[in-house]
Amino acid sequence: MVDEAASDAVGRRAVLTAAAGALAFAATPFGVRSARAQERPIRIGFPTPLTGPYGAEAQNQVAAAQLAVAQFNEAGGLAGRQAELLVRDDKLNPGEAATRTLELIESEKVDFIVGGLSASVQLAVNNITRERKVLFNSISQSDVINEAKDFSRYTFHEALNPHMTAGAVGRYAFGRFGKRVVYLTADYAYGHEMVRGFQAVGDAMGVMTLADISHPIGTTDFSTLMPRIQALKPDILCLCNFGRDQQIAVKQAADFGLKRNIKIITPILVHTARVAGGPAAFEGVVGGTSYYWGLESTIPTAKSFNDAFRQRNGGRVPTDYGSMAYGGVRSVLAAVKAAGTADTERVVDALQALRYDFYKGPEYYRACDHQAVQSVFIITSKSKDMASPEDVFSVLSTEAPDELHLRSCAELGHA
Amino acid sequence: MAVSSILARPAAAVTSPWLLAAVRHRFLLAAAALLLMPALVPFTALATSILVYGLYAVGFNLMFGYLGALSFGHAALFGAGAYGCGIVLASLGWPWWLALAAGTASGFAMAAALGTIAIRARGIYFSMVTLALAQCVYYAFYQAAGVTGGENGLMLPALGRIRVAGLALDGDAPLTRYYIVAAFVILALFALSRILASPFGAALEAVRENEARARASGYDVAATRLLAFALSGAFCGLAGALQALQLSIVPIETLSIDTSGLAVMMCLLGGAGTYFGPFVGAAAFLLLEASVSVWTVHWQLAVGAVFVACVLFFRRGLWGSVVAWVGR
Repeated sequence: MVDEAASDAVGRRAVLTAAAGALAFAATPFGVRSARAQERPIRIGFPTPLTGPYGAEAQNQVAAAQLAVAQFNEAGGLAGRQAELLVRDDKLNPGEAATRTLELIESEKVDFIVGGLSASVQLAVNNITRERKVLFNSISQSDVINEAKDFSRYTFHEALNPHMTAGAVGRYAFGRFGKRVVYLTADYAYGHEMVRGFQAVGDAMGVMTLADISHPIGTTDFSTLMPRIQALKPDILCLCNFGRDQQIAVKQAADFGLKRNIKIITPILVHTARVAGGPAAFEGVVGGTSYYWGLESTIPTAKSFNDAFRQRNGGRVPTDYGSMAYGGVRSVLAAVKAAGTADTERVVDALQALRYDFYKGPEYYRACDHQAVQSVFIITSKSKDMASPEDVFSVLSTEAPDELHLRSCAELGHA
Repeated sequence: MAVSSILARPAAAVTSPWLLAAVRHRFLLAAAALLLMPALVPFTALATSILVYGLYAVGFNLMFGYLGALSFGHAALFGAGAYGCGIVLASLGWPWWLALAAGTASGFAMAAALGTIAIRARGIYFSMVTLALAQCVYYAFYQAAGVTGGENGLMLPALGRIRVAGLALDGDAPLTRYYIVAAFVILALFALSRILASPFGAALEAVRENEARARASGYDVAATRLLAFALSGAFCGLAGALQALQLSIVPIETLSIDTSGLAVMMCLLGGAGTYFGPFVGAAAFLLLEASVSVWTVHWQLAVGAVFVACVLFFRRGLWGSVVAWVGR
């Protein structure tokens, strides 16, 4: 016997409750449609992980993307037509990002999507935008997104990729610091992509891999690995990990005295990780980056970008990831202007043809995979003479934009 | 497990003919509610998510609300369904409806396999065993990157143009896809109402209320528990498969412990042991999350507060409280 009373009774009250719920809902942001006059604004969807470990990174991205939109609008928009940014929290979860992307496309009717801050999230977003023929400009590092199976006419990639950053750092470091290398790698796709990038450069230079030691993401104790690394006597230790993993690995390497005769390098030296990790641990670590605010002394567009950002954000500076968000949104809006319309097909054509310099020097999207061909900066962490808390790196060298530093179109599977 | 203490059990038997009719036709009423849902929810992708997670919570509820066994490993069943459907779609190129069947079967098989080990344990030990097993499944799928895509997730083709009963439909049109998903969820709800009304359904509740007594009455308790787990797996597997179709990606997070927790949370929020409660729980959770996370990054605080309030003041969950109030 089923206990009848334990089962539900849907009826008049439930319908009333539902109606009340629907009314309550109309008061939420979903119920409100920005009803600006006659012409619909150009809408850019912006999924980013506001909650989770990269929340600080994401906040900086939002501020930078807002800046790009504001500048477009202040300059008169597209013949008076304004742009707006719809920020959504993807929670660093590909499933959530996919749901939010569907919402942005299906109910918010966005014209373009820019965003993503993890390889798996950007692939999930790209998988949806590609099928629905919506232009997506990704601002997170990934090698996979350039490959033919994930690529589409509507996929653009403003960020660097592991192959480019690891390659640039390798070219800089292997000749200077030595050829005996140990890799300490976070055990996920992105970590292994970075190792592959280093080895592509290293093999040509006669670099020897002594060991590639993997650790799970979120490792807090590297103490068992450090003596092992020391015993191998490498010239260089490559940290192929990210964020907090990198912070902890750097600190423990310093504690174990590895820095006395080993040079530590990393494909991406992240601004926020360095600020959190402190000067002592990071001292002398060499890495790559797509952007550092200190470039303003040599690059005019960096200066104007920084100044505009500071003005709107109480004197704070944009981070590396923030700058990519700015570049990603601004290049799409520049293409809209060049095309004279927000029509996707024509904006794609305009974006492919775009030659731009918005924040870091000249850039353009390579025809076969829409990867932004751009410079990579080699930086090192400062420990003395810091003018401000944000004055954390000095730029050692700049690798100019060059398609030769990307994997070839044939290699990626593009006919 | 003292689950019965939090289940909706009105003191008095139902007497009003209007209510009796509602109980008798609860399947039809639930189906009607689901068919009307897109009109009440801000965007269709969210409505589809409510369907999918509602069905997932229904599967969980079969174990928790009706059998009284609290599993912390249901993500393994949901994920098995999603990957089962995704792998045959992506690697073998099966048609979508066959992939849904494959997902349901994967969920059933996974539950049967895990259940064989887990049902030996009771109470908190059962919860811990299911949790551990689910973590093993997560790790196995994470490592099998060749088939599952590992870290990057499994990419699937979009549904595209499909033919159903001679009709050409666009499976990527949001509303069309909602109703395709709804059709399967309603089918599952019909199956659920038949299961609950069967002698097996009565045996489930007998085991929940008093296992020793059920055994003394001649029920095969072990078989009942295992079959409940496997059926729960079929429901969760179908939910996972529908999720894969909806998102055209199966991320590894599908198998994570958070996904297991989601089932517990949605089921409790809606009302354990009620027929329609899991959908109410899924809707409450997802609507809260979607609306609050637009306003503030601290949406988890709001969801957490509501959950705490529910546990403290609505012991029977949102829907369970409604049922109890109507039936008092």
